[in-house]
Amino acid sequence: MAKLKLKVNGKVYEPDVEGDMPLLWVLRDYLGLTGTKFGCGIAICGACTVLIDGKAVRSCIIPVVNTTGQEITTIEGLDLDNNHPLQKAWVAEQVPQCGYCQSGQLMAAAALLNRNPAPSENEVEAEMNGIMCRCGTYPRIKKAIKSTLKSLTNE
Amino acid sequence: MNKPVISRRHFLQLTGVSGTFLAIGCVPDLSGKQRPVNLGEDKLFPMNQFILIDSSNKVVLFNHRPEMGQGTFQAIPMILAEELEVDIDKIIIRQSEADARLYGRQMVVGSHSIQNEFEKMRVMGASAKEMLVAAASKRWKIPVSACTARSGHITNTNTGDVLTYGDLVEAARSMPVPDRPRLKEPADFTIIGQPVARQDIPLKTNGTAKYGIDIRIEGLLYASIERSPVFLGKIKQVDDEAARKIKGVKNVLRTKRKVYGRTREGVAVVADSYWAAVKGRKALQVSWDEGAYDMHTSETIMDDFKKSSKEDGDVLYSRGAPERYFDTGLNEISAEYEAPYQSHVPMEPMNATVRVDDHSAEFWGSTQNPNGIRTFLSRKYNLPESNVKINYTFMGGGFGRRSMTDVAEEAADLSQRMKAPVKVIWTREDDLTQGPFRNCSLNVCRAVLNTDDRKVLALEHKVVAQEIRNQTGTSKKAGHQLMGGITTQYNIPNFEVRGVLQKLYIPISYWRSVYHSTNPFAHESFIDELALELNKDPLDFRLELIRDHPRFPLLLKQVAKYTDWYSPRKPDTGKGVAMVERSGAHFAMVVEVSKQEGKIKPTKITTVIDLGICVNPDTVKAQTEGSIIMGLTACYQGLKVNNGRIQQQNFDTYPLLRYNQTPEIETHIIDSTNPPDGAGESGLPTVAPAFANAIFDLTGKRLRKLPFDLDSMG
Repeated sequence: MAKLKLKVNGKVYEPDVEGDMPLLWVLRDYLGLTGTKFGCGIAICGACTVLIDGKAVRSCIIPVVNTTGQEITTIEGLDLDNNHPLQKAWVAEQVPQCGYCQSGQLMAAAALLNRNPAPSENEVEAEMNGIMCRCGTYPRIKKAIKSTLKSLTNE
Repeated sequence: MNKPVISRRHFLQLTGVSGTFLAIGCVPDLSGKQRPVNLGEDKLFPMNQFILIDSSNKVVLFNHRPEMGQGTFQAIPMILAEELEVDIDKIIIRQSEADARLYGRQMVVGSHSIQNEFEKMRVMGASAKEMLVAAASKRWKIPVSACTARSGHITNTNTGDVLTYGDLVEAARSMPVPDRPRLKEPADFTIIGQPVARQDIPLKTNGTAKYGIDIRIEGLLYASIERSPVFLGKIKQVDDEAARKIKGVKNVLRTKRKVYGRTREGVAVVADSYWAAVKGRKALQVSWDEGAYDMHTSETIMDDFKKSSKEDGDVLYSRGAPERYFDTGLNEISAEYEAPYQSHVPMEPMNATVRVDDHSAEFWGSTQNPNGIRTFLSRKYNLPESNVKINYTFMGGGFGRRSMTDVAEEAADLSQRMKAPVKVIWTREDDLTQGPFRNCSLNVCRAVLNTDDRKVLALEHKVVAQEIRNQTGTSKKAGHQLMGGITTQYNIPNFEVRGVLQKLYIPISYWRSVYHSTNPFAHESFIDELALELNKDPLDFRLELIRDHPRFPLLLKQVAKYTDWYSPRKPDTGKGVAMVERSGAHFAMVVEVSKQEGKIKPTKITTVIDLGICVNPDTVKAQTEGSIIMGLTACYQGLKVNNGRIQQQNFDTYPLLRYNQTPEIETHIIDSTNPPDGAGESGLPTVAPAFANAIFDLTGKRLRKLPFDLDSMG
């Protein structure tokens, strides 16, 4: 059987895994990209959100075989130096508490901005409602998104 | 005399920083007395397990309290840095190792970290600073009073000459350890009280923060454990043939997990990847003997509680002579309040990685209780504590659930039997269905009123619930744990709190704010009901009842001011107030609600908190926001029991509050020079009662059962 070929954060990987393994566990346990988190395993909480061809996807339920040949971006590929406008805003607003869901929050927000750099409040809500946070960082996420949108329109 | 010993080489490894670090300072033994430490090898180095300084003036400060989001990772070093006189943005923060001998109790529960460590950390910082000053004074041959320490430098005030801490550290470490270093006046604080940016946050926005579930080590095996759907079910039969055929599955083993004295059985599938373990588990055929544990439903449990509530129970608190007022034909009112079981559901599912062999053990993971795991591994496997290493990571939330050591115990057992390191990961379904849970409760409040004088003559609050400390055994006596969160300081002359202990096989445990998450819902709702009976404004009524208290009156007045409490309500809006003390922190809250398109929702929540000296106000605000949102989730969701099992399996049926459901949250912190109180649970206890009181204000309907049935309010 030909090995799976994955393109993650611009790098090609050929993990020795079966095709039905969810992308999440391939990223975490085989590629060492542990920034993407396991939260529910049923695509409800959003902690496992990554970008596939720029769109937000819940990696906990998508079989890895369905992601070959596509551009996968994880939190590590957003910007390791925290220079993405969303990351800057997240740090400025001191968003994370435990931080566990924040990769998902950031990737969802990034997908939203990819789609529409000037989303309405309803669009922001529709996207961000998909990512749960037990620490209750939503008020700060709201502020961080607002300030990001402001900085993007000022550019 | 027990002098803690730590090898210099080992200490340097802990820092993860290259270069030559010289350590200075002293160590408190468990009595809190400062003692110099023998660094081992052939030379004596006085040192401090919290502070390292190198010759280039790099400063490393250690946090010894596990970080689960509450912010001690930054707050503990802030206290050290304040007294050490170094710039907070120039220090390097590292997590300490787990060692009760060096660091005392490291468990993070009950919002205790800052209040317990505040003075100790100040002394550690100030001692080190005084030793540096002593070294400078010696070098310059001037009195210490002519040396000023600031920003990691010491200035000779006679000449203006400057030396860095790095220049002095080698000499400073042989200076005598001060017996009682002089601490700064709170008015001179430059770091404590400032909203300092947290160093852990950039690690949490780029995926590099490591949590227990992220641990990867050589030869690691993964386990997923099938458990009885009812709590004490026994294994009848296991057919693991299909499971063993799954690629990657290494073994199928029966396991036991002890929870509060009761043993629970399971079947573990151990594999070379987590996914293979999960697949193997799905292929298992396990039949369970459910005994008589499949009988209960939420309704039968509450029915039993209601029957028990007729009993007198045990007096937990009493003043005056309430018995002279109740059941005597006076004007008596009463109300019952119900709260369901809740799950902690930290976003990081429960997990633990352990390696046990004949000579040593090592743990990696997210824990609120690193010392507890070390002690367990040492005792259970008969190892000296020095051969047990605990690597505690950032936690993806804790909320009390991670104060238990049960998952580490499962991983240790499997590791020993597999002769390999094993990571046990619970599924979210395991987490929700297995518990332990926040207790469910019935609170019965009654009062005798004098409606002519508009006064409360007597109040009785009866708590009917399981008690965390007394879940097994035959004792039926209720303990004081049951009365958490009841404000006995209300100036009511005859006041009694009673507990009726319930024993059930459903396991309960500490959940953020513990009984403060249930009792104040009843108590603070009932105070509003009394205000209504006496035709008084609920906030004024509280002010009247608490007027002699040193802290609450100011909080009530401030929250009234911030929320424009006394102005007439706008159409379709309501306001509710509640006040509670938790872990020393006192807070008053107003919830504002509105009705839009027939739906009631909270629009704004304002809290005023007095928690003494506030180390990092931004973290306290974040904690309050989080507590409020966790409290709100508990107004909307509760666990349901049916056939002796928890009905909700995952976040689809037990959703957390979502982004767009979050109201505006405003938090005000009172300036104070009192010692710090606990900040991690402030706001949670007041949400449900203030919300219910606001709904009453809007609709005239009283909600006495959590979670709230808001659909019936349309």
